[in-house]
Amino acid sequence: MLDTVYGALMLLYLGVGLLFLAAGLWVSPALNRWARVLFGAGLAAHSAALLGRWWESYHLALGHTPPAHFSEKLRLVILQAPMSNFYESLVFFAWCLPFLAILTFRRYLRDYLGTVVAIAACLLLAYASLGGVDSRIKPLMPALKSNWLLFHVLTCFLGYASFTLGFGVAILYLVNERRPRPTLPSLPELDRLIYQATVIGFLMLTLGILTGAVWAESAWGRYWSWDPKETWSLITWLVYATLLHARLVKGWQGRRIAWLAVVGFAAMLFTYFGVSFLLPGLHSYLT
Amino acid sequence: MTSIRLTVFLLLILAVLAVVGTVAAPNIYYQVWFLAPLGLLALNLLACLVEGLPQAVRKTTRPFTGEMALTLPERGRFTWPEEAKASSLAQEAMRRELGRPRRKIMDDKEVFFYSRGRLRPLGPYLVHLGLVLVLAGGVVGKFWGVEGRMLLQPGLPVSSFELDDRKTRPLAFQVQLDRFQVFFYEEGGGTPKEFRSDLTIFEEGEEKGKFICRVNEPVVFGGFTFYQSSYGVMPLGAVPVQVSRGDKRHTLELLMRRWTPLPESEFQFMLVRVEANLQGYGPAVQLAFRSGAAHPQIIWLLRKQPEWADPRVGFRVALGPLNLEYYSVLQVKQDPGVWWVYAGFILLLAGMYIAFFRPSQRWAVVLQRGKGGRWDGRLLGASPRGRETFAIHTERLLARLQGGAS
Repeated sequence: MLDTVYGALMLLYLGVGLLFLAAGLWVSPALNRWARVLFGAGLAAHSAALLGRWWESYHLALGHTPPAHFSEKLRLVILQAPMSNFYESLVFFAWCLPFLAILTFRRYLRDYLGTVVAIAACLLLAYASLGGVDSRIKPLMPALKSNWLLFHVLTCFLGYASFTLGFGVAILYLVNERRPRPTLPSLPELDRLIYQATVIGFLMLTLGILTGAVWAESAWGRYWSWDPKETWSLITWLVYATLLHARLVKGWQGRRIAWLAVVGFAAMLFTYFGVSFLLPGLHSYLT
Repeated sequence: MTSIRLTVFLLLILAVLAVVGTVAAPNIYYQVWFLAPLGLLALNLLACLVEGLPQAVRKTTRPFTGEMALTLPERGRFTWPEEAKASSLAQEAMRRELGRPRRKIMDDKEVFFYSRGRLRPLGPYLVHLGLVLVLAGGVVGKFWGVEGRMLLQPGLPVSSFELDDRKTRPLAFQVQLDRFQVFFYEEGGGTPKEFRSDLTIFEEGEEKGKFICRVNEPVVFGGFTFYQSSYGVMPLGAVPVQVSRGDKRHTLELLMRRWTPLPESEFQFMLVRVEANLQGYGPAVQLAFRSGAAHPQIIWLLRKQPEWADPRVGFRVALGPLNLEYYSVLQVKQDPGVWWVYAGFILLLAGMYIAFFRPSQRWAVVLQRGKGGRWDGRLLGASPRGRETFAIHTERLLARLQGGAS
């Protein structure tokens, strides 16, 4: 049932993306308004679908381990958050994009910028629905049974999503610099948005790495083991640390910052997809 | 040593080396190629700290005074009529938009001033200090920590563990495995649900307590931490196997990795592996047999399907009663560096919060009697970073002040 909902959501985000695109091409505030309303509705439906899967997953787990007290129930709720395999991570990643966009740059969520966000969310859902990803809810293996699971995945994917927004804005910056468009925010505004997305993403990625380290310490007795996923998240972190130093200490702005945001995004993509498929390690249950 | 160029260069070098590590050289992280730039980065961070921290502390502790407030750049002007209660109006506007301002009268001017984000200059230094602590924690763990593994069979107390370099390290207490259990999900296709070691710890013959060690739930005792790492099964004693050739039948008692001859023949048998659950088919043993010095052949015998026969070999093999026992492998660790690392994490996060979300912002409202006795007001303010919230507050404050007297 939920699979159908995600299929419909994918089409909805595609529609929203096209509406935003039309709004940008024909400078139409009315189309923008419609696209934003639909985008908000999509996010609401997406949230409901996430909660639905959470509910389903919790009830399946109730069958495996009936909890005795309220505290055990609460723990089971936390453990069964729908973030424990590749499919669930894709769907959650897709949710983070409109969520963060509406939270952090609502005013600019229109025209081409709106298109970028909606299409990114659509692509992630398309991969989840059509890419042959196993969407079944599976019981948790012992290593994943930790309260850190929720916070680790939550912070990592909010970070990924924020970097994705930064990448989208960076691309718009580079395009706008060559061929200025009236419906895009000004270059300084885009530059500030890249920085803002980077700061949020950096803080979230840091939290994600730290919660992962604390979790690994309590599960395996090692806060850092140079597992490929860990190493690549560190590489991503180093790239964005470079961006922040270049900007805050050296005063870099504009094109060079945009290019660094593109490089950081590539590193993040490899951390998420590349490592899972090419480099086996501690995170291999994600595939 | 403190130049930003060196920092960025080192960050990029480390990133490139880390890429090389994940693709081609998984051990690079423990070699000088990686540790040298990492050490340089630590020195670079320390140098930045030594150079900049005192100044940042001075900046943070220097009080914001009325005189300093007057030097802030101007952000807007307003005028109020002569009879306006200027003092309380200005104070009220600032209190509503920002917070309670301080007040100072200087000559003919009355100044209300307010600042927030005073800790901002410390932010980056806290981040760097946190990183230095994390790296220091790694070094402490490397030199003063120990790590190893402990194999436990039910009922046999163990008072030492094996380090990574195969040396044995004694413990001042005994760890005994009372029971190891592994649970599987019913319809999970063999997905394990829980690994659990029930332990009793003794010290000088006295029971010190019972513990349950699970994945994600380590046991801490006597300064050491025990993690459920892996498990396996071993047979209780020898494994009986019946070998029939024609109408002759022999029972062999097989041991791990030891050739046992089949009487009246050239053949030898050996137990190679024991599995509690071979791909969902239940307990199984793997045997090897060979004729003389020929290349050995390998076969699996399941408890559910205990017989094996091959007409080319000319005998049948049947597994006798199989008594298996679980053993448990615990990871044993003592790492005094972990607390350094965690302290570093806290500083890192606190520093990031201050640096990115608590920008330093200052405002001042200056009141002065102008021509004809009316009030001339000026709004001053500055925020080197975090311009957006500053601009919003400034705009709203100015609107309040300009509309204030009406």
